[in-house]
Amino acid sequence: MNDHRIAGKGRIDRTRPIRFTFNGTGYEGFQGDTLASALLANGVHLVGRSFKYHRPRGILSAGSEEPNALVGTDRGPGRFEPNTRATMLEISEGLVTTSQNHWPSLERDVGAINDALHMLFSAGFYYKTFMWPKSFWNKVYEPFIRGAAGLGKSPTQPDPDVYASRFAHCDVLVVGAGPTGLAAALEAGRAGAKVVLVDEQAEPGGSLLFETDAGIDGQSGWGWLKGAVNELSALPNVTLLPRTTAIGYYHQNLVGLCQRLTDHLASPPEGAPRERLWKLRAKQVVLAQGSIEKPLVFDGNDRPGVMLAGAARSYLNRYGVTVGDRPVVVTSHDSAWLAAFDLARAGVRIAAIVDLRANVAGYLKSSASALGIEVLAGWTVTGTKGRLRVSSVRVNPAGGTVGGAQMIACDSLLMSGGWTPSVHLFSHSKGKLDWQDETQSFLPGEHAEASRCAGAGNGAFGLASALAQGAQAGAAAAADAGFEGTASVYKVEGEFALTGASKRELPTDRNAATAKAFVDFQNDVTAKDIRLAVREGFKSIEHVKRYTTNGMATDQGKTSNINGLAIAADAVGRPAPQVGLTTFRPPYTPTTFGAFCGYNRGALFEVMRKTPIDGWAQANDAVFEPVSLWRRAWYFPKPGEDMHAAVARECKAVRDSLGIFDASTLGKIEIVGPDAAEFMNRIYTNLWTKLAPGRCRYGVLLGEDGFIRDDGVIGRMTSDRFHVTTTTGAAARVLSMMEDYLQTEWPDLKVWLTSTTEQWSVIALNGPNARRLIAPLIEGIDLSEEAFPHMAVAEGRICGVPTRLFRVSFTGERGYEINVPARHGRAIWDKLLQEGQAYAITPYGTETMHVLRAEKGYIIVGQDTDGTLTPDDAGLGWAIGKTKPDFVGKRSLTRPDMLKEDRKQLVGLLTENPKTVLEEGAQIVLSPDQPLPAKMVGHVTSSYWSAALGRSIALAVIEGGRSRMGQTVHIPMPNGTLRAEITGMVFVDPGNTRLSA
Amino acid sequence: MMYQYHPPVGRALSTSRDAGLDKGAAGFSERTAVETPRLSLRPVVDGARFSLRIEPKGLEAASKVLGLALPKAIGGAASSGGRIAICLGPDEWYLIAPPSEQESLERGFAELYATTIHSLVDVGHREVGIEIAGAGAAHALQAAIAFDIEAMPFSSGCRTLMDKAQIILLREAEDRFRIEVWRSFADHVWELLQIVGREIELGI
Repeated sequence: MNDHRIAGKGRIDRTRPIRFTFNGTGYEGFQGDTLASALLANGVHLVGRSFKYHRPRGILSAGSEEPNALVGTDRGPGRFEPNTRATMLEISEGLVTTSQNHWPSLERDVGAINDALHMLFSAGFYYKTFMWPKSFWNKVYEPFIRGAAGLGKSPTQPDPDVYASRFAHCDVLVVGAGPTGLAAALEAGRAGAKVVLVDEQAEPGGSLLFETDAGIDGQSGWGWLKGAVNELSALPNVTLLPRTTAIGYYHQNLVGLCQRLTDHLASPPEGAPRERLWKLRAKQVVLAQGSIEKPLVFDGNDRPGVMLAGAARSYLNRYGVTVGDRPVVVTSHDSAWLAAFDLARAGVRIAAIVDLRANVAGYLKSSASALGIEVLAGWTVTGTKGRLRVSSVRVNPAGGTVGGAQMIACDSLLMSGGWTPSVHLFSHSKGKLDWQDETQSFLPGEHAEASRCAGAGNGAFGLASALAQGAQAGAAAAADAGFEGTASVYKVEGEFALTGASKRELPTDRNAATAKAFVDFQNDVTAKDIRLAVREGFKSIEHVKRYTTNGMATDQGKTSNINGLAIAADAVGRPAPQVGLTTFRPPYTPTTFGAFCGYNRGALFEVMRKTPIDGWAQANDAVFEPVSLWRRAWYFPKPGEDMHAAVARECKAVRDSLGIFDASTLGKIEIVGPDAAEFMNRIYTNLWTKLAPGRCRYGVLLGEDGFIRDDGVIGRMTSDRFHVTTTTGAAARVLSMMEDYLQTEWPDLKVWLTSTTEQWSVIALNGPNARRLIAPLIEGIDLSEEAFPHMAVAEGRICGVPTRLFRVSFTGERGYEINVPARHGRAIWDKLLQEGQAYAITPYGTETMHVLRAEKGYIIVGQDTDGTLTPDDAGLGWAIGKTKPDFVGKRSLTRPDMLKEDRKQLVGLLTENPKTVLEEGAQIVLSPDQPLPAKMVGHVTSSYWSAALGRSIALAVIEGGRSRMGQTVHIPMPNGTLRAEITGMVFVDPGNTRLSA
Repeated sequence: MMYQYHPPVGRALSTSRDAGLDKGAAGFSERTAVETPRLSLRPVVDGARFSLRIEPKGLEAASKVLGLALPKAIGGAASSGGRIAICLGPDEWYLIAPPSEQESLERGFAELYATTIHSLVDVGHREVGIEIAGAGAAHALQAAIAFDIEAMPFSSGCRTLMDKAQIILLREAEDRFRIEVWRSFADHVWELLQIVGREIELGI
């Protein structure tokens, strides 16, 4: 175990061993290890199978760009996560991990047949292969593609973890805690700015953690790092957030941060959130994201053991792990030489350094020579061997034509194609990218936000540049945020000036058309796939990307985009910028759904509004239905009753004696001021001036288009005060609309609007015994027919509690709506139920309310109307104040189209078979014997079984419906065509005698 | 007492102080307070509350009725003798008062209407009060409120969104806040704060 560790190397804590498993085998690592470093320390390179060809894959990188080493992790029941990057996963005691995308085992995988058949799986093979026959799509192709898609298996259990959210504000946000970010945060922090410094790694330091050559101000890199972190930690105005990824950069310096809180803990505290999504608004942003090393593209560059040279250096210096006993280095950039030197100095025998460049700096050659490393400058790599791990590399001299091959035995191959500045967040912010031909990279150009880029992410490579740019950016950001600071000057010693050359696929003496030279490791895209796409006509990188899927995996092409672009540009024969750069999109790295959901899951998924009487309904077995954000009692089944029986019983009880209904959700608006009546005149269709205080009126509200938006009963409390009710779902909308008109159209009106929906509990009593029940309980209101007729309102007391009592009916029976201050609602409800036993009082729900109102032809806005009905269409022409000079929607009502006789009008329908209850939404035709598609003339809007009539009833909109009274229409249904007669809308008590019965 | 059929112009309705009837109400105040070292959540004892809408020129007269100088700037809050006034908009104030002052305030404003028009609406039962106190209070609120809580001055208030609920937030002291929220949204706000409270307790 751990036999690939070098004594004394690394930043891991060797006093704290940690046990974990990979594919069932137990291993040991140390505190500070990632899964990748711990596996490598145990000599494990093979960690997964590739997406398309099922090729054995190892660990490519040491950071969040990892495309290969994706594993499943299991942190206990319900806590399985696929596709976790082994390079970012900190090990914790008892961690269970597995490799992905293979069967029956990682070592022996049947799917690897795809690799042998690779010629079948070229670019665009989906589009070419799954075209025909069409009938194969649903049954064969789609299941096959779905089965083959993705690497890891989706979790099947609900996620038991808690996720947190937080808004935050700061003066300066610094993204990346490498030398650049640390220098920036130090300057801004010292200047007194409120600073947030984030880094996706567990530990701040960035490249300082593994590039150990240079010293800063007389200290070692690590010494300086320690001092910097200590200083920042001590500054109260600085927040240092490790394990925190800046996932997206949005408008006005809003940056999304995903902070991993507990995954690294073996036993997180109960109830502790797993991750937190920060929505951080910064006055100034400093992007110090650093750079990502580019792989080289050659045949067999994906075998386990082939990795980025910088990663090997990171495993050595940060984790004390050697990635092999006999590595070969292949590079076109100086930095890989430094990796080779570090390894050699740690006692590893470097088999050779193969550099694509014929001319390499003398100091590198002499250092190599001093360390006894063979150098092949001006050579190329043309292949690798080794089934589950690289065992040899094929190299050729590459001057002019490619010369004869030579095999070098090795157990790892460290490659470097140079470094790509990370411009992802800058690109999210819509900053402009400029192409640098010399370095073959995109660099930040013009900024769109209050931001700065510094260090390697800005193309300023090297420690001295990083510190200088970081300090300057930090000081300038602080200054722009209103703080004074000066940029410190750092003295860097022992740093090498590094250069490199950019390469496409490496030159080869073999047939390039059969080379498996991978560009995108996660999606298995090779150089020849990209060239094929160009040959087949794709000239823009956006098209090449989609056709080949290059850069479309969850790593978003962090290691593949630039190589892909270089190859595509070469194939097209145009400079790279003309072929284009694909768009970077948030999130920067894969982010859990949990983090995005935050607290909004389970009971907090959405607000569930409950009335003060809801508790009674719950205790009395109500079945609920959602109505906008409210939950309302739908019906109250007694033991053994189904919905039909319960609703029929409730309906009968109301018509026979007395029903009680919780109407608290009705929207309510208090309209107060000397111009209240004028405001009402303008906003509703009806005439309000003549409505006396103490009386109610049914009001209809239109939009400017003349179509019905809302309705409700409105009581005039005093000359200057109206109590408006709206439908439950439209309460907020109606208030907003009223405020909009008041503030923008009629600011001259002296009137104010206040929402009182929740001030009042509303209990509706309906039935012939309603008055008998309340008479002894009411004080201060004369309930006699003369003093308090239908559509009256008065203030008084009920059971000692103040009430606004409305005499209204939505059932056709004598009805009262008792408004009491909300905290008294439940007590009054209980009291009424108790006293109502004498009248067999029956609680009813929204379904019974719907049936009873439909029996009377009372419409429900939003059910019987759909935003295209005028008052006249709905049979409400009588509610229009025709003498009024204006009201919202008035002009639209006179448009010729609104006056057409064949407009859809609301009518009643009685089915030929009285037992047939039509389906709401069913389409209506005039004749069943017409060619298909038949002309539809309307649809059913409401349909119920009427217990009162012992038959079904329905409302419908039908073209010219009111002129077709008595005619038969047809309703085609899957099991045959139904017949119904057009009738009036009032089915019960057309004379309205029961309202005062 | 017999109740008037038509109350005087501009008069808001009073709530009952018939104690017996409050039992069994969907009582948010029945919630048990949550007390941890860095955060406490407590339901506020119910009081009188009004939404006052008035043109700024009537402020002085209204202040006299209230017995408290109404703050002039939006976001301003003033308090004295258990009365609180928060300026929420150019012509909008949210008033809180001890329950015993409900009727006298209603009467006072009703009389004021004759000379200074305004709208006084009783919202005492619309709202539920929650007190959030402790060193972690600002942090707890910041979990679901978008603006910078730390920068909120003491004795200031505003209408804002907490997660999906509209609230009025009042900062009473460095580490004491009060939320006023419509009753049907109160459970959501309370339960959210409780979950956030766990983070604060753990120091995560």
